[in-house]
Amino acid sequence: MSKNNSEFSVVGKRIPKLDAAQKAMGRAEYIQDVKLPGMLYGKILYSRYAHANIVKIDTSKAVALPGVHAVLTGEDVPKKMKMGFIKDNPPIKKGKVCSLRDEVAAVAAISPEIAKKALGLIEIEYEELEGIFDPEKAMEKDSPLVNEHLKSNVLKMPWDIHYGDVEKAEKESAFVVEDRFTTTWVTHCCMGTSGAVALFDASENLTIYTNTQIPSLAHKDFLEALKAMGLENKRVRVIKPIIGGGFGSKLDTYAYEHIAILLAYKCRKPVKVVFDRVEEFKATSTRQPTITYIKQGCDKNGKLLFRDMRMVLDNGGHTSWGATTPSVMLMPISSLYRVENVKYVAKCVYTNNTYSQAMRGYGNPQATFAIESSMDILAEKSGIDRIEFRRINKNQSGDETPQGLKITSCGLEECIDAVKKELKFDGKNEKSVGTGIASLIHVGGGARIYGSDGCGAILKMDDYGKVDVFTGGTDMGQGMDNITAQIVAEELGLLAEDINVIHSDTDICPWDVGAHASRSTFVAGNAALGAAKKVKKKIQAIASKLFDAPAGKIKFKNKLVFVPGDEEKSMPIGKLLRKAHFRPGGTMLMAENFYDPDNENMGKELKGNMSMTYSFGAHGAKVKVDEETGKVEVLEYVAAHDVGRAINPLLLEGQVYGGVVMGLGYALTEEVTVKDGEIMNANFRDYKLFTAKDAVKIKAPVIETDDKDGPFGAKGIGEPGCVPTAPAIANAVYDAVGVRIKNLPITPEKVLAALKEKNN
Amino acid sequence: MRLPRFNYLGPDTLEDTLDLLAFHRDDAKILAGGTDLLVRMKKGLLKPNVLISLKALKDLSYIHEEDGYIKIGARTPLADITASDLIQKKACALFQACEKIGAITMQHYRGTIGGNILQDNRCHHYNQSDFHRSGRQPCHKDGGKICYARDEADRCNSTCQSDGATALMALGAEITLARKGGERTVDLANFYTTDGIMPFAMESHELLKEIIIPVKGAQSVYKRLAYRSAIDYPIVCAGVLLKPSKSQKNKIEDVRIVVGAMSRSPLFLVQESSSLKGKSLTDVDAFKHAADSSMTSASTFAVHHVGATLEHRCEMVSQMVFQALKEAAQKAIDVKG
Amino acid sequence: MEKIQITLNINDKPCDVMVSPNDTLLEVLRDELDLTGSKDACSEGICGSCTIHMDGKPVRSCLTLAMEAVGTKIKTVEGLANGDELSDLQQSFIDHGAVQCGFCTPGMLMSADALLKENPSPDDKTIRKALAGNICRCTGYAKIVDAVAHTGNPQDNCPDCLTSSKPYKIQGE
Repeated sequence: MSKNNSEFSVVGKRIPKLDAAQKAMGRAEYIQDVKLPGMLYGKILYSRYAHANIVKIDTSKAVALPGVHAVLTGEDVPKKMKMGFIKDNPPIKKGKVCSLRDEVAAVAAISPEIAKKALGLIEIEYEELEGIFDPEKAMEKDSPLVNEHLKSNVLKMPWDIHYGDVEKAEKESAFVVEDRFTTTWVTHCCMGTSGAVALFDASENLTIYTNTQIPSLAHKDFLEALKAMGLENKRVRVIKPIIGGGFGSKLDTYAYEHIAILLAYKCRKPVKVVFDRVEEFKATSTRQPTITYIKQGCDKNGKLLFRDMRMVLDNGGHTSWGATTPSVMLMPISSLYRVENVKYVAKCVYTNNTYSQAMRGYGNPQATFAIESSMDILAEKSGIDRIEFRRINKNQSGDETPQGLKITSCGLEECIDAVKKELKFDGKNEKSVGTGIASLIHVGGGARIYGSDGCGAILKMDDYGKVDVFTGGTDMGQGMDNITAQIVAEELGLLAEDINVIHSDTDICPWDVGAHASRSTFVAGNAALGAAKKVKKKIQAIASKLFDAPAGKIKFKNKLVFVPGDEEKSMPIGKLLRKAHFRPGGTMLMAENFYDPDNENMGKELKGNMSMTYSFGAHGAKVKVDEETGKVEVLEYVAAHDVGRAINPLLLEGQVYGGVVMGLGYALTEEVTVKDGEIMNANFRDYKLFTAKDAVKIKAPVIETDDKDGPFGAKGIGEPGCVPTAPAIANAVYDAVGVRIKNLPITPEKVLAALKEKNN
Repeated sequence: MRLPRFNYLGPDTLEDTLDLLAFHRDDAKILAGGTDLLVRMKKGLLKPNVLISLKALKDLSYIHEEDGYIKIGARTPLADITASDLIQKKACALFQACEKIGAITMQHYRGTIGGNILQDNRCHHYNQSDFHRSGRQPCHKDGGKICYARDEADRCNSTCQSDGATALMALGAEITLARKGGERTVDLANFYTTDGIMPFAMESHELLKEIIIPVKGAQSVYKRLAYRSAIDYPIVCAGVLLKPSKSQKNKIEDVRIVVGAMSRSPLFLVQESSSLKGKSLTDVDAFKHAADSSMTSASTFAVHHVGATLEHRCEMVSQMVFQALKEAAQKAIDVKG
Repeated sequence: MEKIQITLNINDKPCDVMVSPNDTLLEVLRDELDLTGSKDACSEGICGSCTIHMDGKPVRSCLTLAMEAVGTKIKTVEGLANGDELSDLQQSFIDHGAVQCGFCTPGMLMSADALLKENPSPDDKTIRKALAGNICRCTGYAKIVDAVAHTGNPQDNCPDCLTSSKPYKIQGE
């Protein structure tokens, strides 16, 4: 069903964010603003060493400080209370610390000042152990072990995949290139820092306010936490305040949430734990750093024959979601461009550094940096124009990739064309100016990571034509609320303003697996659409009786329910609903819908169509390199995406612009500087986010391929914006001055050093 | 982050301020804009018992020209300096330096030129939260005996990163320090102790009152290297004053080259400066030579820093000095017509 | 430590409040006066989320002592609107999609508002310079710059200027 945007009333419209007004008035309530009567303030004490045994902890002085209500150490954490996907990470460590961000104690007091003072009074005796900070060194036999009970620092993970026959393909290749690329830690830098407020009611049921992107999974984790605390069969309610940025940083449950719960239970008062910025840098997780060895080969006509990638991933001191990024990295590795023979081995290695979790793109930016840089190198070696090279190998609708991804709608070629046109790739550039291109593939129709990829929506209409949608989805500023409202409004012939989207409370809202994998538009959107369709059917049935017309002929538009062509058979929707309700045997209009996309978990060899559809894109950058300072200036940037359908172009642009600028930071300026496991630049001066003055205007052509499974044809767009930025820049720098930087970020110093080497 | 506790005093006049300083001495710190002082207090780097606010001393905020000198009150906000035609025309290096400091909304309205000169030296090992520092041996600047920036160093190697001071030293500025019962004026180039812990040769009962810039019929340029176009401290910076000869056409009479953000104080490179006397305004080779020599001189003081390695910063000294010299020379040529 | 009573002029209203010398203006606004619009996102005066006006000039409230604010006119984001009637700048932010998570928005508005009072028609470069001290992680700044540029200067080729829906209906209120 291919529809023109002009046929829609609400979908495709540039409707401002529904909660923008309260935010612009300073009235939005973030976790920082949550204040409850009797609330105490919790603070966490972190380890002094990157690797040490905890010999002795004396909390007596802290306990005795007036204003302190509770002091906890690892001894106070129930044995079964563990975090992380292999459940090996207690919220407060006991006996041993493996990184400088390890929590060793926590305090609740009547003011943050007193809590901080109390932390200073906790005396801990450590026995320092030798630390290991280089993952490649940590793989060696005689390296210090981060976990003594494991015989090696290398995790047992299933990241060893081989599709086709890479060795054979290499022999058949006319051109082969081989390189090493590295990416380092970068971090989310949400403007709103992490925090939670936990409280127990008189019956020991837990309510927790927290910035979470996974309210339902958090609900489950906290139920397990209560069970570990001996509070089985108690209720948990997760309430989300307005979230000050997510980007993947809230896709798990964290030490600070568990600590808030433990403190709240001990004190029998609400306890608020909120991070300051230094803590946010040091104690929250980063993007997974990578060391990538990549080999690719093509035949003499430029057809890609194989892609062989090997990665070493710094796992940090504890295992967390960073170790699962290979499952997503496999997507571009096996499926960005057509390539039949793929090998991918990733080793996750314990070190005493910080550990990584989800961050926008979840491994895709790291893998794409290596792949798309390598594609340029291979194109050059084979003597084929780099855009043509990509066109030769482009993904197409109907493909099934080696990993089993089924490509349905695919606008990759149109995206590449858009970049080529906007950046004038065929034109000649002046000295030190160059252009670069890089493409992306990302999940666009959900992502089956867990057993369920579903989202529930409950729709309730009142007697005036207003709708409440209770959704499991999460809005963290990206616009899930608007998308849901527009989809429901379109279906029911209403305005977006008539729809109230509620997503903040697990007591009220149905289940959703989480706001990850750019799935909100596709999955939460389809969930709401399905519920709206059910309500629509009910209204059609009522109208059918009223108008004496077949239900199928009843249409909805401009808040009217009508039979087209018959002026008599038309009624404002509110009036119709009141007629249905205020009579004997009346009815109210409600429907629920649980949408679980028809995608697959990864099975044997990690094969499986993990998303119902895939988003594609191509980015192009034009840069100027100052050959005296090495500084790379971005002159122009084009980010073209195949989004299926733009439900809200205004918000879509917001996601693209924001994603690109985050990606430019990733490419050029951002890195978490670490020395012996210690983060040295835990502030916004030394961690270099782009400022308004650094950022450039971005062109964002939108390609609409009208996906058959997306709500009104839409696919996801939350993450793609930051996926191919780094290789686009690296490729442009090479085009400009002939040097290729293979480790991010592409700092002036690296460019200058490379230029020097080239000129010598 | 909470500030530690202190007593707050808000004197109404300069006289009262000096009285209080004389009384409290080391117990007190002056609060002007607070954009450096309060951050350091929040990190626990210092805990003064008393803060003496300059809030009421609006008389210390002025810019005017008098008898061949530009006089700037120490309490003048950076925004006033960047808005001043006089400074842009006759002390351009200072204008360019202040424009580049931080960001307009960060400290151009509250931050003062005096505060920028007197900002404490920085080091990415020292300027960390108190928790970070409490887990290790204190460094020299923190009351201890080691240096994390430079192995085995017996002294503090913190860096003066003041854009304002670098530019002013290039301009040949003097400063007036007031105290109860008197004041003294000193060449800015002689104001530094070269001690990273106590970088300024001033007593605890003295107050920076005024900056005096001689108007010399010279061109001045300030160049600064930073990777972002706002917020960042300079990785390395250079201020150049170039006075063309009045008698000999297109020749240089005098030059002052100052390199900043490399050492415990801005470095006035006397030798490199005098090497250009008598040279032509178009002698690019001489500029290059002076720039390279500046790099050698400055390198001995440099330490590793967040954002750029030692080697790179040293290399960039040469770049910044060269660019500043070229630009100043070109301005001199343009003026002559 | 003894608290003392001071009077602050906040959004043209006198407010009596008890403060300690080490209370910052941001802490007093948020904790004592329930004006939680201004945010503490870094505490070091770098990110700009705490930006307010002191005598019409944008300053960091996290680095301003409450005591220093005595005798000055303080304006916060809560003072931009006239009751429930949003200012043109606020409406422009909403219409142009300049608000995503919204955490940086109050500080951005205050910096932009100060700019527009001084320069009602700033160009792109001037706006970016004026907002360089306000960090945003969500928007990439483009729509914020457009919102500021088009305030009072609606552009024919801007679809968001044309569809402005002032006065705007507030979600959930």
